[in-house]
Amino acid sequence: MTNLTVTATDRGTSQVLEVAGELDMATASQLREVLRDLTLRRGQQLIIDMAGLGFCDSSGMTALITGRNHAVAADASVALTGVPNHLRRALQVAGLDQIFPVHATPDEAVAAWDARSD
Amino acid sequence: MMCEPGTEPAGGADSAGDSAGDSGEKHSRELAEFSALLEDSAEDLYEHAPCGYLSTLLDGRIAKINSTLLGWLGHAREDLVGQRRFTDLLSVGGRLYHETHFAPLLRMQGELGGIALEMVAADGRRLPVLVTSTVKHGADGQPMLIRTTVFDASDRRSYERELLRARDEANRERDLARQLAATLQRSLLPPSLPSVPGMQVAAHYHHASPEQVGGDFYDLFALSQDRWAFFLGDVCGKGPTAAAVTSLTRYTLRSAAVYDPDPVAVLHNLNSVLRQEFTFEDPRFTTVIFGVLTPQEQGYTIELASGGHPPALLLRADGTVDYQHIRGGQLVGILPDAHFGAATVHLRPGDTLLLYTDGLTEARIGVANARYDEEALQEFATALAPTTAPALMDAVAALFAEFGAGLEDDAAALALSVPAPTNPPPA
Repeated sequence: MTNLTVTATDRGTSQVLEVAGELDMATASQLREVLRDLTLRRGQQLIIDMAGLGFCDSSGMTALITGRNHAVAADASVALTGVPNHLRRALQVAGLDQIFPVHATPDEAVAAWDARSD
Repeated sequence: MMCEPGTEPAGGADSAGDSAGDSGEKHSRELAEFSALLEDSAEDLYEHAPCGYLSTLLDGRIAKINSTLLGWLGHAREDLVGQRRFTDLLSVGGRLYHETHFAPLLRMQGELGGIALEMVAADGRRLPVLVTSTVKHGADGQPMLIRTTVFDASDRRSYERELLRARDEANRERDLARQLAATLQRSLLPPSLPSVPGMQVAAHYHHASPEQVGGDFYDLFALSQDRWAFFLGDVCGKGPTAAAVTSLTRYTLRSAAVYDPDPVAVLHNLNSVLRQEFTFEDPRFTTVIFGVLTPQEQGYTIELASGGHPPALLLRADGTVDYQHIRGGQLVGILPDAHFGAATVHLRPGDTLLLYTDGLTEARIGVANARYDEEALQEFATALAPTTAPALMDAVAALFAEFGAGLEDDAAALALSVPAPTNPPPA
């Protein structure tokens, strides 16, 4: 009924996961599997791009938190990009905007991360 | 592919000339032996085939029957051939089915296969069989006789019985699971809400699935003679693990509130407890609003704290409706140093406070991927305000019913209201 696509791109200092569709109880495990199989290098930034995400419930937020856990465990960082307006509100309510840096686009997140690494 | 003489290239045939003669002789000798074997076994195959054979005349009388079928039924050939009809060998039910379905269909189609019937042996034993029949026609195209193959279906019948038994068992298990889920769910929700002086309270719970215990919860209880605490929240996930976390959450909130009723302190306490449950791969969190009610001369003061929960909605006596945003709160149970926001709300006569879980604001409303949301809920409440907790909860229950299957997740709602003053007393 609901569907989700996750596309991974390695951009050197960052790895981008484009998450599109609906992130809910039925699809969250899909993102969690991708995250589990993802190898983050130390000092890398994991970017979860949500520009194509129409919906994200608490199962989806759990998956985002799993992603953050993986990044923290790998000594890597994590950022969200392209957060649609309706999800920005949900992230605020959950207080996740306080633990995930948010950028407009993956490019901006990569630039911000590289500037910090220099 | 290897031996197709017709396609053999001419050169190849020449060079193999001599040896071909020898092997040709040997081949025809083998063929002769082989066909002798076949001829020998044609009658034997009919008589002792691993299935029953039966030929009947058009009036149903048995013309020919093989030894296998005679053996199964325990009849002598002379008792049946020319004496009995095929239907005489069937159970009463089988005979009826034969008359009403089998025979007419066979006449119409000329053949009929895989029909399950029951034959009755000489000693009264019942033999489940699968029957296939074809009509043999004479040279003039007129039907002559009916040839029938009978397969022993005892194995299949016991397999079917086994399937039925397994299905019954699965049904029983499911009923048991449902019963368990319902019992567990009841234990996670208060059987009734205590009465708070000068206040009306009402709650509603929607179960998305009868098999699974939901993660939504609420409660209202006395802290002392004149103070009450309440909470409403949502444990992420479903099923037994979520139920265990829900149970732990309820007990922790209740006992923490007795120890230190400051709402933010209560949530910190819960955070520490739930963090113990946290696993790296399977983080479990709870969102919750916790409140303490203290009576005032007019109505109640409500001290609220929120951990990542959607904001409560205040429906005022004057008909205005606003969300009570509590900034800075975070999900409970995932961060060691989580922040929880606090706010104070005054519930005056005629005011109603609504708490709900996101199952309500995330319900599908039937238009593509559209969901009900906070704006829609505010409009819904504005149409009702001013109201009372029971009236609001009736409307929420009706709204849930309206969502129907669109309400995919569990949803809980709790409302508190202070009754508006009745008409001024006569002077």
